Amino acid sequence: MKNKAIKVGLTGLVLVLAFGGLMYSTLAEGTEYYKHVDEVMGQPSEWYGKRLQLHGYVVPDSVFVNKRTLEYHFKVQSNGQTVDARYTGVVPDTFKDDAEVVLKGTLAADGFSVVPNGVMAKCPSKYEPKPGASTSGSR
Amino acid sequence: MASLGALVLVLAFIASACAAAASVAGARRGNNRLVESGIGAFYTVAALLTVTSGLITYAFVAGDYSIKYVQRYSDSAQPLFYKITSYWGGLDGSIMFWAFLLSVFGAVAVKVNRERHRELIPYVVAVTSIVEMFFLFLMVVHKNPFDTFLTESPTDGRGLNPLLQNFYMAIHPPTMYLGFVGLTIPFAFGMAALITGHLDDSWLRAVRRWTMFSWFFLTLGLTLGMLWAYEELGWGGFWGWDPVENAGALPWFTATAFLHSVMVQERRGMLRVWNVTLVIVTFLLTIVGTFLTRSGVVQSVHAFGEDPQLARLFIAFMLATTAFCFSMVVYRLPMLKARHELDSWISREAAFLANNWVLLFSAFFILFATLFPTISEAINGERLTVGPPFFNKWMTPIGLGLLFLTGVGPLMAWRKSSLSNLAGQFLWPAVCGLIAGGAAVALGVRVWSSGICFAFCGFVFGTIAQEFVRGGYVRKGMTGADLFTATIGLVARNKRRYGGYIVHVGIVLIFLGFAGQGFSRDQQLLLKPGQQATFEHYTLRLDALRVTDDGQKQMITGHMTVMDESGKELGKMYPAKWFFRKHEEEPTSEVAIRRSFAEDLYIVMPAFEMQEQTASVEVHINPLVNWIWVGFGVLAIGTAIALMPESAFGFALAKLPAEAATATMLLFVLLFSPGVVFAQHVEAPQQATLIVRSPLERAVARKLACWCGGCSKLPVDTCVCGHCANVKEEIAQQAKLGKTADQILQFFVAQQGGQHVLSEPASGIGRFAWVIPYGIGAMGLAIVGIAAIRWSRRREADEAQAESSDVPSDNPADAALNAQLDDELRDLD
Repeated sequence: MKNKAIKVGLTGLVLVLAFGGLMYSTLAEGTEYYKHVDEVMGQPSEWYGKRLQLHGYVVPDSVFVNKRTLEYHFKVQSNGQTVDARYTGVVPDTFKDDAEVVLKGTLAADGFSVVPNGVMAKCPSKYEPKPGASTSGSR
Repeated sequence: MASLGALVLVLAFIASACAAAASVAGARRGNNRLVESGIGAFYTVAALLTVTSGLITYAFVAGDYSIKYVQRYSDSAQPLFYKITSYWGGLDGSIMFWAFLLSVFGAVAVKVNRERHRELIPYVVAVTSIVEMFFLFLMVVHKNPFDTFLTESPTDGRGLNPLLQNFYMAIHPPTMYLGFVGLTIPFAFGMAALITGHLDDSWLRAVRRWTMFSWFFLTLGLTLGMLWAYEELGWGGFWGWDPVENAGALPWFTATAFLHSVMVQERRGMLRVWNVTLVIVTFLLTIVGTFLTRSGVVQSVHAFGEDPQLARLFIAFMLATTAFCFSMVVYRLPMLKARHELDSWISREAAFLANNWVLLFSAFFILFATLFPTISEAINGERLTVGPPFFNKWMTPIGLGLLFLTGVGPLMAWRKSSLSNLAGQFLWPAVCGLIAGGAAVALGVRVWSSGICFAFCGFVFGTIAQEFVRGGYVRKGMTGADLFTATIGLVARNKRRYGGYIVHVGIVLIFLGFAGQGFSRDQQLLLKPGQQATFEHYTLRLDALRVTDDGQKQMITGHMTVMDESGKELGKMYPAKWFFRKHEEEPTSEVAIRRSFAEDLYIVMPAFEMQEQTASVEVHINPLVNWIWVGFGVLAIGTAIALMPESAFGFALAKLPAEAATATMLLFVLLFSPGVVFAQHVEAPQQATLIVRSPLERAVARKLACWCGGCSKLPVDTCVCGHCANVKEEIAQQAKLGKTADQILQFFVAQQGGQHVLSEPASGIGRFAWVIPYGIGAMGLAIVGIAAIRWSRRREADEAQAESSDVPSDNPADAALNAQLDDELRDLD
């Protein structure tokens, strides 16, 4: 009986260690910092080169798009801090002025470059429509 | 009506409290009449909640906008279908819908099992009622769907967001709820067994069907969600590991594990603690899922409402439930001792155990990764997130492991498999797997995960085919019928086993679809009309970029021709961009999909340039993706067979299977035969000469009223009559001359007079027109004032006259009456 307990315990330990190690190593390369624009732009140089998910709002009238190449240049702000962002590819339908967006990519001195498919615009939710979104129906 | 609804909700809360109390008291005292009254109260809850559901649906249909919830999620213009589905469109209503389903399910479960599981029923009623009470409490105290506006109520609602007015989005939530809520019933039975100590296998028999039924709806809900994401969102995939999706998948994994481990307990009397735990965990995960999507704990691309109070209520409920359930398990541990020990690791029970571990690990991995941002924030204050690549990296091997176990399980014997036995069992499936894997490599699959997946799919398919063929031969030997009939008889005799195998076939097909994702390709193309481009083995030509209008929206449609390598035309496709009226700044992309069994050609048109007549399109090739939907169809058939009641047996055996199978296969062939799916393409739109208007043109058009005489002076901007089309054309021409908005308006004022201008241009006749109503208003006010003054003067004059005429006003009776009146009025104050 005791023998069995040791066996089970050892197997469990090995499994846990293996999974823990694997989890740790994949997490190290899989994680991204989730930050608001103002948190990052306070000390931008600290974040250069780190993988980020940047949360902010598209500055109105800041979106420039080349419709041939689908290159987007726009500004994103939160709490008064803005950052230039550039992106090439397809943006979601809900991406527009003042949209709440989460951008995946890296920051450098010349702005934030978004990885392919890295623009996520918040969907209008079933549960709590944003105050801004709900007024558009009555205009 | 709102107050009636709120009252009925309170009554339902009281009734479920009664149900819980009476049935527990009745069970403890052995008083059958108390138990009966508890059951009665339990049925009453279902009846009351049906009433509230009816009331809220009526409020939506009738447009009672004094109710906040109705006002927020519907408006008078909404089609009836969406008015009804708005019931579960928002937070408050979705909680009520949940409670309603739970009460109905509970009532049905109690009704069905009342005689057979007499000893469990009081506690089933009690547990379900307590869960019910939690949701009713949420509604009564915090999120009452019948809340009304205290003061003036609006005349129309804000309307459901048009992006959510979509068929899939209307039916996807209720199917998910059916699955989620249905899983409460097994939990209630499990808890009842724990509380009463009737821990033999009878409670398992009571909940088997419920679990399968709920599991099926959960699967359906998840599939519908994937289908919606694939057809509507336009990013070419179907699963993005978003917290909302994950929340739905969590209980699916544990419910699947439960469905399997139940068999081990039935056959071998093992894993009893495990099964009870699984039922509890599954229930808790449904609550966690509900909680995650509604509390704002997890940051998601879906903008959840943040509701700390609701979050606290949920957390309190979850903690209490967890503590109670697991202390019950610990308390009953001595009674949950396994009847047997695991004889060997090479046995079916061991395979089931492994499958359970993997499933449970998947659930907890997904839960961990979903909550990772919250966890990391709690630990070191830094919000770290993990993206889809992280999920994929982990879930790919896990999924492959599961698929492999699906094939291994049926090949193992119960208790212990001997080596020679194993060799015989594994031979053909392994050959199938090798052939499938080899074929995949030969056909040029160079993605390791997909290659292994194909091999495993072959292996599992081999296993299942072998089971059917062997069983069929055995039965043929016994009954002497031909092989086909024998096989059908076999399925009918062991519906659960062979239904389960058919479900596995469905799962294999779904995995085929997943494997296809490993080598999907996409590319962006920029096309002008007449230009063509080649992508892989397709040649795409943009024929035209057309603008049409159906009164509700403007549609910019790319008309494209798809050809194969030899230049033979395969068909036309119409990716589009729709601009809904009043929502022009939020266009929706309409995907064009050309489906076939081998691959989907999937075209989105994210951008276009009307002046230059160019369209940039994104083309995806998604191999094998349709097998996911086909696989779900097969899975549904399998579940139906497994769930078929015994009484339907003879009938089903006599006729159904052969024809049903043929008919279903025909249906699938018809459904998925290569052909273009016009993603909501409007076939015969009203051809209009509209083009995309600049903001200036739109601003001008908004300020002009239609003067054709038949359109009740709608703004030209929203009016769709032919006359306004001409006006818009004229505006465009004026704008091209470089005029400002005011100058253009002046042009129309000069041409037509100022009466069609909706708001004034700031000069001349327009300003005069704008002043008139105010002038009239001021004049009216003046007249009223003068009249009032004159009337009051006349009265003064009358009184003066009266006084002068010396009428005896100090009549003693009058004085007495006045004094009395004064007294009474004083009392009132």
